[in-house]
Amino acid sequence: MVIKVENLVKRYGDLIALDHFNMELHEGEVLGLLGPNGSGKTTAINCILSLLKYDKGNIEIFGKPMSPDAYDIKRDIGIIMQNVAVFEELTVYENTDYFCGLYVTDKKKRRALVDEAIEFVGLKDFKKFYPKKLSGGLLRRLNIACGIAHKPKLIILDEPTVAVDPQSRNNILEGILRLNKEGASIVYTSHYMEEVEQICSRIIIMDKGKTIAAGTKDELKSMIKAVEKVTVEVYQPNEGVLTGIRSLNNVISAEFDGEMLVVKCGKGSHNLMMILEHLKANDILFGKVYSEPPTLNDVFLEITGKELRD
Amino acid sequence: MFAHIYLYRLKCIVRDKQVVFWTLLFPILLAVLFEMAFSNITKGEVFKEIKIAVVDNEAFRKDIHFQEALKAVSTEADGSRLFDIRYASKEDCINLLKDGEIEGYIYCENGIHLEIKNNGLNETIIKSFLDDYQQTAATLQTVMAQNPEAMQKGLIDEIAKRKDYLKEVAASHSEPDTVVHYFYTLLAMACMYGSFWGLKEIYAIQGNQSAQGARVCAAPTQKMRAFAASLLAAVTAQAAIILIVLLFLIFALGVDFGNRLAYVVLTCLVGTVAGVTYGTFISILSHKSEGIKVGTLIGTTMLFSFLAGMMYDGMKLIINNNVPILGYLNPVNLIADSFYALYFYSGTTHYSLNLMILAAMAVVFGLITFLVLRRQKYASL
Repeated sequence: MVIKVENLVKRYGDLIALDHFNMELHEGEVLGLLGPNGSGKTTAINCILSLLKYDKGNIEIFGKPMSPDAYDIKRDIGIIMQNVAVFEELTVYENTDYFCGLYVTDKKKRRALVDEAIEFVGLKDFKKFYPKKLSGGLLRRLNIACGIAHKPKLIILDEPTVAVDPQSRNNILEGILRLNKEGASIVYTSHYMEEVEQICSRIIIMDKGKTIAAGTKDELKSMIKAVEKVTVEVYQPNEGVLTGIRSLNNVISAEFDGEMLVVKCGKGSHNLMMILEHLKANDILFGKVYSEPPTLNDVFLEITGKELRD
Repeated sequence: MFAHIYLYRLKCIVRDKQVVFWTLLFPILLAVLFEMAFSNITKGEVFKEIKIAVVDNEAFRKDIHFQEALKAVSTEADGSRLFDIRYASKEDCINLLKDGEIEGYIYCENGIHLEIKNNGLNETIIKSFLDDYQQTAATLQTVMAQNPEAMQKGLIDEIAKRKDYLKEVAASHSEPDTVVHYFYTLLAMACMYGSFWGLKEIYAIQGNQSAQGARVCAAPTQKMRAFAASLLAAVTAQAAIILIVLLFLIFALGVDFGNRLAYVVLTCLVGTVAGVTYGTFISILSHKSEGIKVGTLIGTTMLFSFLAGMMYDGMKLIINNNVPILGYLNPVNLIADSFYALYFYSGTTHYSLNLMILAAMAVVFGLITFLVLRRQKYASL
């Protein structure tokens, strides 16, 4: 077990930020912590890193209790903060070397590690650049280089793609998967469900400081009734259409989103055909048609009754 | 690890142009402005010989004693003389006075008389000289008439002797200069500007103040070691800056720091440590934004400087007379007063007291910072 968190409670006055939160990270896993802003993801990470005091609970990393002076544990952890944590006065190389030097004292070894990290994040041509000369995406990559240069066994990434362009985002996600392939266990927090679905082998969905669901993405999706979402463009949407659709077998819900009829269907086959035949039979004109499996947002929506991005 | 953090923090400090401006260039610019302002004041105090004329008539030519007296005060002695005298006819003297080329003219005619055009300091000096001469001459005439033997016993020399019992001199044998105090408070203020570096260093290692600090806290680095390395880097940079400012004041502006420069440098170093630790102290205690902390440091340092007499030298006296304790609680005053003590007093008692209080302040600031820093987990980030 890489991380084991049991019954973690953290209060800010009357506000409960973590409410008996539990978490396990197994070796070689990419664990996603998914939840809306304010759900307690970053607080959980800060408690795990022993940066924040907590009111109750146990945290173990690599089988040992975590504490601020557990230097042997900290040596194998890499942290990539939500905010870019680099010094404006140091170049790309110097920043990476500075933070790597907090873990690795051997200069020769460190030089090789720093070069490798800079190459890994694709900043080889920017070694002598100061952070203010870098774009947002490159800055995020530097932030990652500073966190992984010492080759940690456990890497914690706290929303590393916030405010990053799609190209840099893909680059970062690919990099995380490469780090995982190289042997690092990873905790990845985000409120972007697509990212979490893309790279995480297991996911914990959080809300109000609690774990509301945990498992692989397929396990999570199988927890909900709706297994298919059918979207149809209807030219004359009205309440009658909805009433008709809702009366069909296997239909869990039907709503209009503008001219788009969104129908959620339960387990069963030919849901799409059934809906289209009903529309034809009732002379309802329709255009584009989509069918898709449920997303993590649907999982979140069904469990909490609200959108993940609220 | 210590050297690694120290060297990188030093790099960060040296490359922070904004703080380098405030700690190095701002005091230098202010010193240049002080020099421009105060050089005029001191120029105004330089004594210039007074231009007078004497009517060269029969009565004057007969008065040998008066001629000798005038000669004595118009001949350069020790590089200065009281009067620049022209000898001319009465008409010429009148014209010279009318044209403003002389401050007054003296003529002998049934006594010694003075004609002046205006009333002012120079005219008062001429009149004082004449009064003094006439009083001395009358005394001698009386003595000669009533007790001629006394003249044989050197009485003339005694009466004519002018002796100053007071002389303005610095006990440290430095040349007395009243404006140095402004430069001393300026240098003291520059020492306290080291607080900006202190703030910066706390910001860089405190997990609840910056993301960089959180990263340092998450690393397997002893926080106290990181703090010691950062503090040393800040003190090194600020000490170098203060020495540059000190050298600029001495060699470029000619500010006199007396002849005990080793003590002056020691004061600068202790002042620097006090300044840097003051910054760490303010930074560690306040949970406000960095901007508010910088504002607090600027505001308090300016207040300390004002109370130490940087803007008005009388303030120091007011504080000393009314609330002397405030002088001892004001680090800028302690630093400036240490320079002052080295300049004006030959002993080191006053200086040592100031320096010890300053060092104690630095220890208190550092200790409080240390105690708060020792806490390794935060209630919030």
